[in-house]
Amino acid sequence: MHDRGEGEFMTEPAILLRGVVKDFGELRAVSELDLEVPRGSIYGLLGPNGSGKTTTIRMIMGILEPDQGSISLFGGDPNRSRRAKVGYLPEERGLYRRMKVLEQLIFLARLRGIPRALARERSEHWLARLGLDDRAEKRVEDLSKGMQQKVQFIGTVLHEPELLILDEPFSGLDPINQDVLESIVWEFQERGATILFSTHLMEQAERMCESVCLISGSKKVLDGDLRELKRAERMGVVVVDFEGGQDWVAGPGVEDFDETPTGVRIRLLDDADPQPILERALRAGIRIGRFEVAQPRLHEIFVKHAGAPADTPPEGLRRNQELEVASEGRP
Amino acid sequence: MSASPMRTVPILIAREYLQRVRTKGFVLGTIGAPIFLLAIVLIPQFLAGDGILAQREIALVDRTGVLAERLAPRLEDGGFEVELVADAEAEDRAIERAREGEISGVLVVDERTLQDGSATFRGLDSPSTLRQMALRQAVNQTALAVRLTDDADASLLALLQGGGLEMDRLGDEEDVDETGGLAGYAVGFIGAFFLYFVLLIYGNMVLRSVLEEKTGRIAEVVLSSVPAWELMLGKIVGVGAVGLTQILVWVLSAVLILSLGVPAAIPFLGEMEFLADLPAFLPSAWVLAFFIVCFIMGYFIYSSLFAAVGAMCSTEEEAQQAQLPVMMLIIVPFIMLLPVLEAPDTTFAQLSSLFPFFTPIIMFGRVAVGTVPAWELGVSVVGMAAAILAVAWVAGRIYRVGILMQGKRPTLPELWRWVRRA
Repeated sequence: MHDRGEGEFMTEPAILLRGVVKDFGELRAVSELDLEVPRGSIYGLLGPNGSGKTTTIRMIMGILEPDQGSISLFGGDPNRSRRAKVGYLPEERGLYRRMKVLEQLIFLARLRGIPRALARERSEHWLARLGLDDRAEKRVEDLSKGMQQKVQFIGTVLHEPELLILDEPFSGLDPINQDVLESIVWEFQERGATILFSTHLMEQAERMCESVCLISGSKKVLDGDLRELKRAERMGVVVVDFEGGQDWVAGPGVEDFDETPTGVRIRLLDDADPQPILERALRAGIRIGRFEVAQPRLHEIFVKHAGAPADTPPEGLRRNQELEVASEGRP
Repeated sequence: MSASPMRTVPILIAREYLQRVRTKGFVLGTIGAPIFLLAIVLIPQFLAGDGILAQREIALVDRTGVLAERLAPRLEDGGFEVELVADAEAEDRAIERAREGEISGVLVVDERTLQDGSATFRGLDSPSTLRQMALRQAVNQTALAVRLTDDADASLLALLQGGGLEMDRLGDEEDVDETGGLAGYAVGFIGAFFLYFVLLIYGNMVLRSVLEEKTGRIAEVVLSSVPAWELMLGKIVGVGAVGLTQILVWVLSAVLILSLGVPAAIPFLGEMEFLADLPAFLPSAWVLAFFIVCFIMGYFIYSSLFAAVGAMCSTEEEAQQAQLPVMMLIIVPFIMLLPVLEAPDTTFAQLSSLFPFFTPIIMFGRVAVGTVPAWELGVSVVGMAAAILAVAWVAGRIYRVGILMQGKRPTLPELWRWVRRA
């Protein structure tokens, strides 16, 4: 693939993967992955821990080489100058513990080609914005975990990247800081930047993403525009709040259901009509507070297609831990 | 604005260098070591009362009438201030002054001195051993000189002291070694020991620095901006520059102490005659140049290996174990050094010095003690250069895979896979 002019550039997807495969010894970490991240979108790469998200991102960043397939960035080879337009927040956060905060940020920015004076100016600006200006001369090791996370985030955006690749960006952050960083991500998107972030938290992806790619066990399950995915999904969901017994719930048209604090959330079989459910409920003589035909959640779509829960704490949490154990000892 | 290796590698080197040079450990080790050395030279002398403020004035009583004329200049050469005592009255006054501590003491020579070289020193305290030696030597030699005839004096004395065996190395026509090969041996041993010492220390420093980046998960952040080989190169050169800085400070302070500090501080420089021989022991510019070649090339060979070991491991303990094979590459040639210095031209010496991983230490030793044929030098330098390339290739691949790998240390077959696949 050869370079094109800057004008045409903008119509190319920010990231394009074709048939990408990565093996670690016997283990296939990424299998035949196609991925297209449109320019200016917020894209979620979703899946349980150990499903190949981090490996995929590392290949996009050129840290790992794919065994097969092609990767292009902004419509061309992911060479050094294209990668310099990417801001990358790895899953494993890391800073030089003994370096001073400001010094460290200037170092990271200069590695991306920002001249020293500009690097200092921007670092000071961001530190002030995130309320860390009084820590600029402190060593990283003297900062709290949350502050370190913020410093790391600043290091990711200092060179004003056109593409932000964030691997589990909000894990381990308290809700307040999570909101702060989230608003910065939105800000970058408004300015035209593309955001790719990976998460195993479906709810977060549902709230933030325009497009998603669901992967499980190193394979892509499905991908595309989130609203279209939900619309195309023939699975219906009915939410009923009620008082009384729930013998009426199971029956024709029902795939399965979850209890909620106020009632049940029922997943219907493909193309099933919700009407008979309402009739059954009325016949059962329960007191109905709410009856709503809803859209499936991302998580429900994932389970339907992957056949395994993606997160659903606490069961999901347990599963993730198992996966983590299983994936130990490989990058 | 786009970044290239020409711009990023210096940034990586500068970070590594500045971070290390600013630590307390570096400052203490670099500036502290020479100060400590100076202290252990000077403090005992101050404690013995032989420091700058010690009395160097002595009175000389000559009952023979023939010794003083020659003894006084000898004593003055030895760092004493001599005051000749003419008569018994003056002698009493001198003894009184010695009792008051105004002078160090009164040296009395008489007929007995001419017979067996003995003399008497009358003072409040006995002088230091070094000074006693200097006094005895001056008295002895003067007595001997007086007993011999005037014009025979110098040559007979020289004969008594014994001549040196001059070494004229064939093939090295300009340089006649007056120290009988001892200088070459000393330079070879001390230089090789120094190489051994600094290569181990700075290699270990590279290892721990890589390990810190790996366990601190910093590597991935940096690797998203620069390729792994740049990070590794920046680290090796950065730590190497720290090493050179340290060596430079040490050498400069040693030169400073020797040329300014110590002679000014030690009042009896004359007693330390061996210092006068020092220039003969200093290595020639050629040996020094080869030392620097060995240091730099050896450093690149070993530190790349240490970097790879650091990237393979996940904990300090693991790294301590895993670095043993690399350390052996430095320790083994050092063990082999003594036999090589004894017989630098044997096949054993030849072969071991041409093995690139042993070259830095063993070939340096051979160059220091003897004449190494030009072709062997050429082969050894080319060998080291080839080793650097080979090691950089292998270590670079291990480093690239290992630096992101968490979990248990790879086995040898796994390592081989990394090298092949990376």
